[in-house]
Amino acid sequence: MQIDEFLRPKILVISGKGGVGKTTVAAALALVAARNGRKVCIAEVDRKGTLPKLFGGGELSYEPREVSPGVWGMNIIPDLALAEYLDVQYHMKRISRVFTSSQFVDYITTAAPGLKDILVLGKIWYLEQNRQDTKGEKNFDTIIVDAPAAGHMLTFLSAPMGLSDALRVGPVRRQSDWLVQMLRDPDRSRVHLVTLAEEMPIAETLETSQALHDKVGIDTGPVFANAILHKLLTPKEKETLEKVMEDEDPSELKDAASEVGLRIDGDDLNALVGYEKFLEARRAIQAKHLRELRRGLTEPVVELPFLFSAGLELPDVETLADVAEKEIDTL
Amino acid sequence: MSAIGDIVARKEIIVCAGAGGVGKTTTAAAIALRAAVDGKRTAVLTIDPAKRLASSLGLKELSNEPTKVSTRKFTSAGIEPRGELYAMMLDTKSTFDDVVTKYAPTREQADKIIANRFYRNISGTLSGTQEYMAMEKLYELYADGNYDLIVIDTPPTRNALDFLDAPKRMTDFFESRVLRWFLLPYMKAGGGFMRVANVAARTFLSIVKRIVGAEVLDDTAEFFGNLEGMYEGFKQRARDVAALLRSDATTFVVVTSPAEDSVEEARFFAGRLNQEGLHFGALVVNRVHPRLSEGIDVKPRQISKLEAGSDVGRLLAKLLDNHEAFMRIVTREERNLDALARKIPRHRWVRVPYLEQEAVDFSGLLAVSDQLFPA
Repeated sequence: MQIDEFLRPKILVISGKGGVGKTTVAAALALVAARNGRKVCIAEVDRKGTLPKLFGGGELSYEPREVSPGVWGMNIIPDLALAEYLDVQYHMKRISRVFTSSQFVDYITTAAPGLKDILVLGKIWYLEQNRQDTKGEKNFDTIIVDAPAAGHMLTFLSAPMGLSDALRVGPVRRQSDWLVQMLRDPDRSRVHLVTLAEEMPIAETLETSQALHDKVGIDTGPVFANAILHKLLTPKEKETLEKVMEDEDPSELKDAASEVGLRIDGDDLNALVGYEKFLEARRAIQAKHLRELRRGLTEPVVELPFLFSAGLELPDVETLADVAEKEIDTL
Repeated sequence: MSAIGDIVARKEIIVCAGAGGVGKTTTAAAIALRAAVDGKRTAVLTIDPAKRLASSLGLKELSNEPTKVSTRKFTSAGIEPRGELYAMMLDTKSTFDDVVTKYAPTREQADKIIANRFYRNISGTLSGTQEYMAMEKLYELYADGNYDLIVIDTPPTRNALDFLDAPKRMTDFFESRVLRWFLLPYMKAGGGFMRVANVAARTFLSIVKRIVGAEVLDDTAEFFGNLEGMYEGFKQRARDVAALLRSDATTFVVVTSPAEDSVEEARFFAGRLNQEGLHFGALVVNRVHPRLSEGIDVKPRQISKLEAGSDVGRLLAKLLDNHEAFMRIVTREERNLDALARKIPRHRWVRVPYLEQEAVDFSGLLAVSDQLFPA
């Protein structure tokens, strides 16, 4: 898959179970898009996410702000989307303040749960249509939606279909149809799921991917399997290690060490072999889950590496972006 | 005795709390399992277990009553339980229905509420409902007096503190200012909002009607109308639950991973428990990377030489590299945990190392139990 094909839809929705590194992957993909000349906006949906931590700077607001060259960040808050909607639709700036300053939105969105989602999707549509800014300063080529966790994402994306079913006529019906069209057009929107190679996230990813096809009808692209441990030893090296360690006193390794002026004792050797075994055991669990994932999916899987560094800093995101870009290109 | 063993011996309710994805459900199940093996009649209330974990406890679907985990599960794992283990997965919706039925003055009023569309939405989606119902169920199980020990998992919130605030958020929601301002006049006017005197409220309602339709408003008004007279019951129950959580019968187990954000959350949570007068029982640190060495002093120059050398040299270079990477993780985790130790003394900790197998079946749970209750 060429990067251009990957970036063809303007809207990329990134989702996955909580704790799988969804935001980090969204940020890495934003860097990939920016490197390929796109003006990108990452939109968090109604939450204080870790995005500002990745790029530095304070919290994101409803107004997009450039967080890194070519990458903008914003937080779509439903209350503010409602205020904007009322202002644009009904020119009611003053009254809209009454709505948003109270718990009103809570009530109405509780009474009509899809409404919050529709307001958020409406804002995304607004961004997609470049209606944001008449000067064109904030006309984005790519909009990356750091979507709610997978369970809620299905409800989130199906909300306009529900509304379109419920309403027969009127402006809201028309607008909700626009959202349905936006989501169901593979040239405009695509979902990427993020997962870990562990029991629960894999099960949820398989379920979600199926439901996205069956219930939402939105296009899905490569699934990102995050935090995959690298393979350390070749089968031949593994064999060598086993042979060397059979020795009561594995002098071959010690000799190789002392040749470069390194002294390692028995405890060191145990630690070296111990961590190799640990890595292998974890890798075996991951491999089992990755097989299960590949078997159950129609989409390709992109493996992103486990990072031994502290994580959650820009250099880590850059590393992931490097890998993602290369892997996407070879799909 | 381990910190966990100690509280299992003394307490009647153990609440497992912590950020999402740190292994709360597994910890709760593993504690309950061991308590049952050791002779207690134990119930574990899980919120959102992995499918395989649920089925390993014999749970197939949401249920509102604990079902007994078959003794055969234990015996086939080579264990003769001296007590009994009951497990359940919380069914939020039907717990909510039970609550409504209990507090409604008449059966008819309860039915009206349960059939209301606004109610059907909140009983599934309103934030805090799951937490509130978990506490409700806990109270009920405790009041029944059928169990020596109840272990409860908490809902998977982004933020562990959410769950402490949930009951209050629920009651606030029912009583808020907005309700009085906008919905009560509407209700009093019998749904004819044009008769509402307040101009702001009238404009407001007319817009709402345009956007979401009159039905939504009618449903909402009807719901709150039917709820009149039930608030006191709700609030009393919330107070009773709060009292139970603060009582000597209850203790909290804070579950965390050694990752920075999770540790940070655990620190806050322990502080909050203290502030709220809740008992802190133990800290479970899950998925700790083992420290296998004090570090090997190796220079990059030596690594390059090894890489350029023999097969065994290259092998050694790889092993050294891998060792160094893990030492970096271990060091980072220890730094995070040291910060935590300033808040929670280490004798209240139980560390569970990264295990070779995932705790998704009965034997996996037993392995976690062994770590939580070291001999």
